[in-house]
Amino acid sequence: MFKTLTARAIVPVSVAVTGFVVVCCLLLYSTMKNDLMNDAIRCETSMADMVIKSTRYAMSRSDRDMLRNIIDNVGDQKGIEHLRIFNNKGVIMFSRNHPEVNRLVDKKASGCVGCHAGPVPATTLGPMEQARRFVNEWGTEVIAITAPIYNSPSCSSAECHFHNQAQMVLGTLDIGLSAAPLEQTLSIMRKRMLIFSIMVLILTVGGVAALLRRQVFLPLQEITEFASNVKRGNLTQKLSGTYGELTELADSVRTVASSFGKAVQEDTKPGEGNTAVQADVP
Amino acid sequence: METSPVRPETENAMGNDSPELRPTQGDSAPSHPVPRDNETIVRLKTKASRGLFAMALFIALSIGAIRDFDFLPTLPPRVHALLGHPPSVNLISPVLLLYSFSAIILILSRMMSGSGVSSSFTHVAYLAGFYFFYHFSGAMEENFWAVFAAGVTILALDSYHVWTYCTEEIKKEQEILEEIARKNHREDRSED
Repeated sequence: MFKTLTARAIVPVSVAVTGFVVVCCLLLYSTMKNDLMNDAIRCETSMADMVIKSTRYAMSRSDRDMLRNIIDNVGDQKGIEHLRIFNNKGVIMFSRNHPEVNRLVDKKASGCVGCHAGPVPATTLGPMEQARRFVNEWGTEVIAITAPIYNSPSCSSAECHFHNQAQMVLGTLDIGLSAAPLEQTLSIMRKRMLIFSIMVLILTVGGVAALLRRQVFLPLQEITEFASNVKRGNLTQKLSGTYGELTELADSVRTVASSFGKAVQEDTKPGEGNTAVQADVP
Repeated sequence: METSPVRPETENAMGNDSPELRPTQGDSAPSHPVPRDNETIVRLKTKASRGLFAMALFIALSIGAIRDFDFLPTLPPRVHALLGHPPSVNLISPVLLLYSFSAIILILSRMMSGSGVSSSFTHVAYLAGFYFFYHFSGAMEENFWAVFAAGVTILALDSYHVWTYCTEEIKKEQEILEEIARKNHREDRSED
């Protein structure tokens, strides 16, 4: 396979271009996936903040019906897989999924362990640490975020009920969005990158191969054929169609062929060959 | 126009003395030095297969990397603190891209100049570095295939370059040996 000049010229170019394009695409895909994921988490964080702010008034009034209504309405939106609020003991107080209300949340679950890893739970986490990705019981991939509901002077001094001023976190809002749109975007991006890579590869490798064939291999093949014909004794064939550095090689072959032709002609002239032999004879 | 330096006729393509000039071994050596095909050719053959060993080493390393080096013991917190924060993925990935690009260019330029220099094992060491950086940054899963593709490309190109170079050199050596054998044969016949 590697004995021909064509293979020797094309293989390194193909390997180098293919490999580099693949590395570029993989790194680009990984970076873009990371960026899209971060965007999704940022979007979810702001959504969680919005829900917390919209429920603040109902919370300070201890209006549970209004709170339940807000959670149900927001949770019914397309793409929201779960929305719940649990208190600082881990009991789910409000949820879009009504059967899970008043149940205890497992603190070792993927979304909780981030804060509850140590003996004292963490009270502040960055948005990326609050996020988690898992497959829920309905088989849907979910990107979820837990946002703490912090105590504020309006909460601790409310008339209807009050929390201890020292209690920093009153509860947690847990919101989970379906990862399907993100996966769909990534899938489209993968396909586009694959098509783009194949097109780049075909263009590069095909272009190099076509140019080499036209500029180098075909003229070289003609010179080789010409030399073979000379070797077989066919001295009348013409050599044309060479350019660049190959012209020099073609000229050399042509000169050798014409010298050889002249020598053959002189040798075949009647009587001359014999006279030379006779001259040597004493 | 560039011209290649002219080598003295007593040297072969590898810069070694022609087998004619090499000392013969022992008293039992024949009057005409017998060409020793072994040393240089064996060395070239060994060199030609070095790329495969590097590739095998890299694949073994990649098998460990795809498991995120779970068989290695975890570093104690003191060592972690000593090492400091791992570099971010946004820093490692451009460096990997730059490294792949320069490594490919370097190998292609060696191919062009006809140099027999190979650095397969150095590349394996660099690639291992990238695997470990991604491992410590916790981004091995997303970036494993990028490092693997870069490694396969670089090592395949390097192996191909060294293999073609050694094949050519072996051919030249064999031609020299055949020439010497023919010469010896002619001299033997003329003595007879």
